[in-house]
Amino acid sequence: MTAVTGADAHADMGSPTAESGRFLDILQQTITMTSRVLDHQEVMETVVRELPELLNTDACTIRLLDESTQSFVLAAAHGVSMEYLSRENIDTEQTMQMIQAGYPVHTGQADDDTLLPLHDAARHEGINSVLSLPILFQGQVIGVMRLLNKNAARTFTKEEISCSMALAMQVGIAIAHGRMFEKQQSQLKFLRELQAFSRLVNSSLNLDDTLGTMARRAVESLHVKGCTLRLLDPSTKHLYLAASHGLSQAYLHRGEVESERGIQLVLAGEPVSIYDASHDGRVDYAKQMQDEGIVSLLAVPLRVQGEIIGVMRVLSGTPRIFTDAEIRFASTLAEVGGTAIHNARNYQKISKLLIRIEGHEKFLATIIDSLQHQLLVFNQDRRVVLANKQYLKAMNRPEAEVIGLHYDELCREERFCPVNHVFAGQDMQTLARELHEGDDGKWLERSAAPIFGDDGSIEYVIEIIRDVTSERKLAAAEVEQARLSGIVEMAGTVAHEINSPLFAALGTAELLVEDEGATAMAEELQVVIRNLQRISELTKKMTSMTGFERKQYVGESTVLSLDDGAD
Amino acid sequence: MAEILTLDDVEDASILVGKILKKKGHTVYTFTDEDDAIAHVRKQPVDLAILDIKLKRMSGIEVLALMKEINPAMRAIMLTGYPTMETAREAMGLGADEYCVKPIDRAELEEKVEKVLALAKTDKVN
Repeated sequence: MTAVTGADAHADMGSPTAESGRFLDILQQTITMTSRVLDHQEVMETVVRELPELLNTDACTIRLLDESTQSFVLAAAHGVSMEYLSRENIDTEQTMQMIQAGYPVHTGQADDDTLLPLHDAARHEGINSVLSLPILFQGQVIGVMRLLNKNAARTFTKEEISCSMALAMQVGIAIAHGRMFEKQQSQLKFLRELQAFSRLVNSSLNLDDTLGTMARRAVESLHVKGCTLRLLDPSTKHLYLAASHGLSQAYLHRGEVESERGIQLVLAGEPVSIYDASHDGRVDYAKQMQDEGIVSLLAVPLRVQGEIIGVMRVLSGTPRIFTDAEIRFASTLAEVGGTAIHNARNYQKISKLLIRIEGHEKFLATIIDSLQHQLLVFNQDRRVVLANKQYLKAMNRPEAEVIGLHYDELCREERFCPVNHVFAGQDMQTLARELHEGDDGKWLERSAAPIFGDDGSIEYVIEIIRDVTSERKLAAAEVEQARLSGIVEMAGTVAHEINSPLFAALGTAELLVEDEGATAMAEELQVVIRNLQRISELTKKMTSMTGFERKQYVGESTVLSLDDGAD
Repeated sequence: MAEILTLDDVEDASILVGKILKKKGHTVYTFTDEDDAIAHVRKQPVDLAILDIKLKRMSGIEVLALMKEINPAMRAIMLTGYPTMETAREAMGLGADEYCVKPIDRAELEEKVEKVLALAKTDKVN
């Protein structure tokens, strides 16, 4: 193995001018080649395929540095077998360290040097020498490009090595650009997916629809087998399966998952990516996952304004390492979805509340319309905001005509309009007045009561209009009855008081007539007796009377008719 | 002939009843005061008491109840200026045998007195 600067390499490429021209030509072709494609994988495939011919070598490989393991992973190869590529060690530790330090390394007699870890593979493949070139981008080693020679006579001049380094650097730039392009493409794709996802999950306020859409769209966006959405029950704080896509019922009902380490980590706010679900301590149902065909999974928290409301798990049927970008994308989906869930839940709550309010309103309206009295509600402008059926029926007007009318249009006599009195600051007012419709008198009672707002001012006034004609008539009849009873009692009392002296006078006169016999005095006494008997008949009528009738006397005076009133 | 007591707050009425019944040959004691009438019943036997329901201090019904305690065999006719069924029923329930409504008809009075005294005679025979 030799770390080379080119000075110690054997020159067999012709004159320096001709060689420089050829290198420029190779460099130009390489730049042209790498500029044709944007996909960094395609760049690498093109380079390994075409560079050996340009540099007169037998094979080329490119390995990229995996930053997580600090190891070089095969990315593209041409001219060598899979068996060779699958060897355990790429090269000696020293060579790899030199490459990581940014130096090209030439390894000669790879097939003869038994101390080299790649000796057996190189011998088997017929590889004699290897030129390893670090792939640099902005001063950082991002990979290694190796040019392999089967011809022992093939050596590299200083110019060739410099040219190869320049080529490797160009490859590094192309790879980096490809990666950046891919990253941008990926970000653009994620943004588009996110936009579509957001539009879809926010297109409905139905919670079940939103959850179903989220699960389906997450599967489509992340190209996975299935997805589950588990939400924390707001009251019990336990997870429940809210939606899924692409998974069997047997898998979904495999058992309680809340205690799984993976789920617990997610509920603590940490995304969990599992490469091999069948052998991972963070998974409790490894066998069921295997049976379902799930290999890898990614779980992220569903959040609303920083609060975790559940877990979204996307499940891959193929081995998959979820990239940072994918994890971020899934987390963003979960946040967008969380907000959509929150909105749908709020909508659900509001809908239920509205249904309850509507129910109460309907109930209240039924009560108001069932009232036998007329009811009106006035706002601060004294305009009608509510009129019940009884009022509309009494007025024979449709509701639309009454709503908005000013109180002055409905109640014209100020002293009988209690709503105005209440708005003027008085307490509940009840006023009654007699109306005349045809020959019949009709009594209406208007009562008004205030409804106060939060600030203590009158917000509305309720007016109830009652037809109190029957009550009034009954009260008048009761008064008349009381007067009648008084008169009847008075008549009875007077008659009773008269009866005893009348009896004494009449009886005495009769005895006198008996004693006188047929004299002129007896005849005069008969006149007295006749008139006393007439009085006696009147007192009998008076004591037995239960009612009476008035009759006209003189002018406006009236007297009672005993003849008609006594039973 | 019978021993008869009359009680009426109107003196002339009481005297008149006495005159009517004396003409029929009865011995009549006339009173206007409740206590005097009760004292008389306590003092000597009376066959018939004619009592006005409305008196000065007591009611005729109360006086009748007291007299009946003294002399359960005594017969009674109540005089009422107010012919209600309640007062009549109450008087009859307390042992009155008849009642007359004021102003009293002389013939009716005489007839009812004879009728009640006849009942008293029947009681004595039995």
